[in-house]
Amino acid sequence: MDEVATKIIEILKKHMKEPRDDISLQTALTDLKIESLDLAMIVFDIEDTFGIEIPYNANEDVEDFKTVGSVVDRVKSLMADGPAAAKA
Amino acid sequence: MTKANGDRRVVVTGMGVVSPIGTTVDTFWAGMRASKSGVSVLEGFPVEDLKVLIAAQIKDFDHRARLRHFQRDKIILHADRYSWFAAAAADEAVKMSGLNVPFDNPYRAACIIGSGAGGLVTFEKAYRDLFIENKRATHPLTLLRIIGSSASAHVGIEFGIRGPTFATCSACSTATHAIGLGRDYIRHGMVDVAVVGASESVINYGTMKAWQALHVLSPEGIFPFSKKRNGTVLGEGAGILVLESYEHAKARGATILCELAGYGMTSDAKDMVNPGVEGPREAMRLALEDAGLPATEIQYLNAHGTATAINDENETNAIKDLYGKHAYKLAISSTKSMHGHPLGAGGGLEAVACIKAMQENWVPPTIGLDDPDPKCDLDYVPNVGRDLSVTYTMSNSFAFGGLNTSLVFGPPPA
Repeated sequence: MDEVATKIIEILKKHMKEPRDDISLQTALTDLKIESLDLAMIVFDIEDTFGIEIPYNANEDVEDFKTVGSVVDRVKSLMADGPAAAKA
Repeated sequence: MTKANGDRRVVVTGMGVVSPIGTTVDTFWAGMRASKSGVSVLEGFPVEDLKVLIAAQIKDFDHRARLRHFQRDKIILHADRYSWFAAAAADEAVKMSGLNVPFDNPYRAACIIGSGAGGLVTFEKAYRDLFIENKRATHPLTLLRIIGSSASAHVGIEFGIRGPTFATCSACSTATHAIGLGRDYIRHGMVDVAVVGASESVINYGTMKAWQALHVLSPEGIFPFSKKRNGTVLGEGAGILVLESYEHAKARGATILCELAGYGMTSDAKDMVNPGVEGPREAMRLALEDAGLPATEIQYLNAHGTATAINDENETNAIKDLYGKHAYKLAISSTKSMHGHPLGAGGGLEAVACIKAMQENWVPPTIGLDDPDPKCDLDYVPNVGRDLSVTYTMSNSFAFGGLNTSLVFGPPPA
């Protein structure tokens, strides 16, 4: 697992009441018992850590946040776009 | 078991407190027994240009240890400190009451937990982040932490309370209004159980500046009724009671701590900061009338006693006006001399002090009172508490804006 994935898993674990050690890129966020408020805090932490802005609305189901791997992919693509893209 | 007028009687079956002199009922009371002062050097944030450098802060409260076991409220550990205090005090009170959790009859229970200012510390942090640190966003929980009804919602979620749930807000009378309202809801048959009180945690740079600008804080200490008094000292904490109808408490075999016998509330409708004698006197009179008691039945009065020049003299005059000669026989104390002024939560902490005084037949002192103001010439139980047979007590809360509240507690119904 690369650095981005490792950091994201650390952030997820920080927000879990009972952190697990078996989180992989295939793990679904629903399996981690992450609820809407947890997700808002996780997104906030990820944005702070990677200096990006993740467009997301808590009222909508977000495809990008189905699995740990999909979160990692989304963060990587936003990082590649650079901070200018995040502002658009 | 009803009074002649058909109203239901209301009893207290649980109480909880978080204060600068003790973060449980037992330690709070032990602090009073020891004439302990909760005032200390202001800490926890850069004091920068502040001139007042003391406060009654709670420095030994471990929110994780106190709230980790919460089952239904999943984000209590992420809440504002004011909600932590409320949750910890409510947890202690509900445990003492012996009620099943979640409550058996959730729509027949109320949760009225007020706050003078809600999550003010969160507010300041968020604005610092935005305006000084130029952060692009506030923490996602900022809004939920700030709102003044969050403590009541957190407590309601944890204990499964589905009836009336909201906060009161009336500055220093907040807790007393909440307690009185809960009592009225039970009395009128709307609910059988009510978790009531208030919580406050506002000590930060902005709050200190605001209070300093009003020139009502003392840089030295809180000395109610003393000649040397020169202002109040900000405190923090929570005081929560579990109220029940007498029938409800009796039917489940609960231990009844006392009866909440009377409640009075008035407003001066006169001035934001200068209180009158009439409004406080009428609040006390209504509370006595509500309890069906002559003034001579009260043995202990927990005064509002903020140690501002005007409050203590005015309150003394209001007590004399109502109690007449009995004013000089009353044991009166301002426990704020020990736990500081926790603003909206004051009436909650002081209700607990009144109930303990009745349970133990011992009245807490007004500390720092070596040289009383000649205009304050009643018995304020100076410096050390004393044994006294206490059957009925009164607790006063008088707020900025002239918002006056008074409670009367009495023995469990026979």
